[in-house]
Amino acid sequence: MASDTKYVTLVSGDGYEFKILRSAACLSKTIKNSLDPTYGFRENEENRVVLKDINGVILEKICEYLYYNEKYADSKDVPDPDLPPELCLELLIAADYLDGELASFG
Amino acid sequence: MDFEQTWSIISSAFQEIRTKNASRLSYEELYRHAYRVVLRKKGEDLYNRVCDSEHVWLSGNVLPSIRALIAPNLVADLESPEGMTTSERRVVGERFLKGLRQAWGDHQVCQSMLADVLMYMDRVYCQDHRRPSIYATAMILFRDDVLDSRISDLYDRSILDLLNSVILGQIQMERAGDVIDKHLIKSCVYMLDGLHASKLESEDQRLYNVSFEQAYLQTSREFYRQEAQLLLAESDAGGYCRSAHRRIYEEEDRCKSTLMESTMPKIQNVVEEELISNRLREVVEMESGVRFMIDNDRIDELSLVYDLNSRVDDKKTELTQAIQKRIVEMGTDISNAAIVASQAPAPVSAPPADGDKGKGAMPEKSLNQQTAAALRWVEDVLQLKDKFDRIWRDAFQSDNTLQSAITRSFGDFINSPNFPRSSEYISLFIDENMKKGIKGKTELEVDAVLDKAIILLRYIQDRDLFERYYKKHLCRRLLMNKSISNEVEKQMISKMKMDLGNNFTTKLEAMFKDMTISEELTSGFKRHIEGLGQKDPKRIELSINVLTSMTWPLETMGSSDDTEGKRPHANFPPAIDRLRRGFEKYYNDKHSGRRLTWLAQMGSADIKAVFPRVPQKDGSFKERRHDLNVSTFGMIVLLLFNDLPSDQYLTFEEIQAQTNIPQPDLIRNLQSLAVAPKTRILVKEPMSKDVKPTDKFFFNEGFNGKFVKIKVGVVSSGNKVENDRERRETEKKNDDSRGFCIEAAIVRIMKQRKELPHQQLVLETLSQLVNQFKPEVGMIKKRIESLIEREYLERIDGASIDSYRYLA
Repeated sequence: MASDTKYVTLVSGDGYEFKILRSAACLSKTIKNSLDPTYGFRENEENRVVLKDINGVILEKICEYLYYNEKYADSKDVPDPDLPPELCLELLIAADYLDGELASFG
Repeated sequence: MDFEQTWSIISSAFQEIRTKNASRLSYEELYRHAYRVVLRKKGEDLYNRVCDSEHVWLSGNVLPSIRALIAPNLVADLESPEGMTTSERRVVGERFLKGLRQAWGDHQVCQSMLADVLMYMDRVYCQDHRRPSIYATAMILFRDDVLDSRISDLYDRSILDLLNSVILGQIQMERAGDVIDKHLIKSCVYMLDGLHASKLESEDQRLYNVSFEQAYLQTSREFYRQEAQLLLAESDAGGYCRSAHRRIYEEEDRCKSTLMESTMPKIQNVVEEELISNRLREVVEMESGVRFMIDNDRIDELSLVYDLNSRVDDKKTELTQAIQKRIVEMGTDISNAAIVASQAPAPVSAPPADGDKGKGAMPEKSLNQQTAAALRWVEDVLQLKDKFDRIWRDAFQSDNTLQSAITRSFGDFINSPNFPRSSEYISLFIDENMKKGIKGKTELEVDAVLDKAIILLRYIQDRDLFERYYKKHLCRRLLMNKSISNEVEKQMISKMKMDLGNNFTTKLEAMFKDMTISEELTSGFKRHIEGLGQKDPKRIELSINVLTSMTWPLETMGSSDDTEGKRPHANFPPAIDRLRRGFEKYYNDKHSGRRLTWLAQMGSADIKAVFPRVPQKDGSFKERRHDLNVSTFGMIVLLLFNDLPSDQYLTFEEIQAQTNIPQPDLIRNLQSLAVAPKTRILVKEPMSKDVKPTDKFFFNEGFNGKFVKIKVGVVSSGNKVENDRERRETEKKNDDSRGFCIEAAIVRIMKQRKELPHQQLVLETLSQLVNQFKPEVGMIKKRIESLIEREYLERIDGASIDSYRYLA
C-alpha cells in the first residue's frame, strides 16, 4: 500500500507519465476515489492511475491546472490559467470525466 | 463493446468487491465502463441491473448468513422469555447483534465503493431522472431484503423485530446490573437511525423512531412502573428517591452511550412520570417521607425530593404541601406547648378555701411561668425558622417558590386564630432582652437578637395588636428605668421603621421624645429650685416624667380598673404636695394651657429610714439606716407612720381614708410592705397573706435588712404575660381602635370613589389595612352600617348589587 506517499503517478492513454502531488491530484473526484485506501482498488496498491481516455497533451495541461488550483486555492485576484483555445473542447470532456472543478474552465 | 458485455464486466467486478477482492480491480477501468454506458444513454438499464444484482446478493448471501447466527433458543426466547439464563441470553444476543453489525458495516463499505464507481451514473442519470442515488437505494434494499425478512421460514417475525427485542433485552440486563457491550448496541442503533421506514425520508420516519424507540419507551414504562411498586414496598422514602435519582441519570447516560440522544427527553419523561409524578405523593407521605426527613435533618434526602419534584412540577406542589403541613404542625405544637406551659398549675398547691383574694401570690408565680412560656415560644419559633432556613438553603437550592411557601406557613401558624398571643409573646421577648438578655453582649450579638425579633415581627398580621403590647412594655421599661441601653431601644425602633414603615413607629418615637423632654424638665426644675436660694438639707429631689397622654398607654399601667375614668387623687403628704405645686407652677410658666395629671401609681421614691435601737434576734443593739426604694404609694403610706408613736397602729381603713389611694393599689402596696418577708417594714395584725379592711399595721422597729439599700417591689410590676382578664381588655381596646381604623379607611376610599359596590369596598378596605392588621369582614360590615347611620354613606337604591354612595 502506498497511500501515504506524497506523489502519485498519472498515466495518459498514450503512455506519458506525470508524477504530481497527491493533494493536487485529488481535486479530481475520479482520481481521489481510485486512490481511496479504504476501497483498496488496484490504483491504490500501485499508487498509479491510468487514464486511458486522456492523451498526454491534455493530461499535461490537466496537471498544470491541478497545480495551478493548488497554488491559488486560498487566494484572491487569481491570474487566468493559460488555456490554448484549440484544447478547450478536449479539456472540457476530460474535466467531466475526472469530475472535478476543471469543469469550471469554461 | 455493447451493454451486455460491459455489464458482465461490471457485475463480476462488483461480485469481487462484495467478497472483498477489490485490489485486483482498476477503479479507473470500471469507472470508465460505467461512464461510457451512461454516455450511451443506458443509465436506466445500468441502474436497474445494479439493484437487481444487489437484491440477489442480499437475499442469497447476507440474509442466510444472518439467519445462521440466530440461535434457536433466541427465537424461542421471543415467545417465552423464561427459557434461558441471563448470561446465555446475553451471549446469543450479542452473537446476533455482532453478525448484523458486521453485515451492515460490509454493506455500507461495499455500497459506497459501488456508488463511487457508478459516480457518473449518479451524477448524470439519477439527477436527470430524479431517482434516488444508488447508495440510498442499496440501503433501502438492505432494509427490505434483510431486516424485513422473516427470522426463518417457521416464524412470522421479522429480523427487525428480533433486533429490537434483543436490544431491549440487553438494556434490561444492564438495568439489572449486568455489563453489556454498549458499542455493539450503539452501532446497531445507528443502523436503525440511518434507515427509514417508508420511502419518505422524513425525520420521524426513521426505523429507530418508528420501530425501536416506541417499543423502548413502552417496555421502559412497564419496567419503571413495576420498579416503583417494588421500591415503595421495599425501601424507605430516602432510598426510593436515591434509586429514582440514579435511574434518571442512568437513562440519560444510556441515551448518550447506547442509544440516541434524541431519545433522552422522551425516556426521561417516562421515568419521571412513572417514578415521580405517579408516586411522589406516596413517597412524600411515607412514614420515612418528608416529615421524617425534616425531623431528622436529612438534608441530602430532602434535596433529592426537591430535585425529583422540580423535575416534574415547577411549583413543586407535593414537596411544598408536605413542608407547609409540617411547619404548621410543628408551629402549632410549639404554640400548644406554650399554652400548656402557661396554664400548668404552679408547683405550689393552692391554699384551699382561703377566699378569693387569698391567691395573691399565686398569679405571681403563674405569671412568671407564663412569661417563661412566652420566651420559650419565641425561642422555639426562631429555632424552627432556623431549621427551615437551613433546609431551604441546603436542600432546596434557595428556591423562590418554597421560600414563599415556608414564609406563608410560618405566618399561618403564628397568626392562627387558635393562638392569639403571638404579638404579646414577641413583644415580651424584646422586653426580656432589653431588660436582661443583652447585658454583656457585643454589638453584633445584640444586633442578632434584634434581627431575630424583626424576623418574627414580619410574620405578624395584627401589627396594631403588637404595637399596643410593645407600647405597653416599652412604657414600663422607660418609666421604671428597666432598659439596659437606650441606644439599643432606639436601634430596635429604627429596625422596625425599616421593616414596618414610618406609621408604625411614630408613636413609639414620640415616647422617646417625651423622655428626653422630661429629662430636660427635671434638670431645669432642679436649677430653678436652686435658683430660689432656699438651701434646705431636707429638700426632696424630684425627677419627673411628663408624658403626652395620647402617646402613652397609660391605662395599661397599674390596675385601676374599678376607678376607670375618674382617677381619684391620692393625698400626698404636705412636704410632697408642696413640691408638686412647685413643679406645676414651674411647668405652667413654661407651657401655659396644659394640664398635668399626677400618676402616683407609676412613680417611685427613695426614702432614707432610720430604725431605732431595739434588741435584735442576734442580740446586737444598734441603730440601722436603710435606703428604701418604694413606690410612690408606698412612700405615702410609710410617711404616715413618721408621725405615729411606735406602739400605735393604723388600720387598713384608716390608711385608705388618709391617703385616698385606690383600694387595689393600696392592697398591693401593703402586701409588699407588710407581707413580703424581706421588706417587712410594717407589721400586720393578724399576720396573713391577704389584706382585710380591719387589719392593723405597725411600724416594724425591729426591721433588719441585709443590705443598706432595699428595693421594695410592688406585686405584679414588670412586664409579664397578661392574664385572661387583661387580655380580654387589651383585645377589646384593640378592637375599638380597629373600628376607627376601618371607618377611616372606608371613608377615605368612598371619598375618592364616590360610589362603590359592597364587595369592592370590602376588598379595598382589606388591602388598605393589610399593613396594620387583617380585619374580619363582619367587622367591616358593622362599620359600614354605622357609617350609614351617621350619614356618611347611603345605600344606592335599585342597584343590581349592593352599592354605597359617599355623602359629602
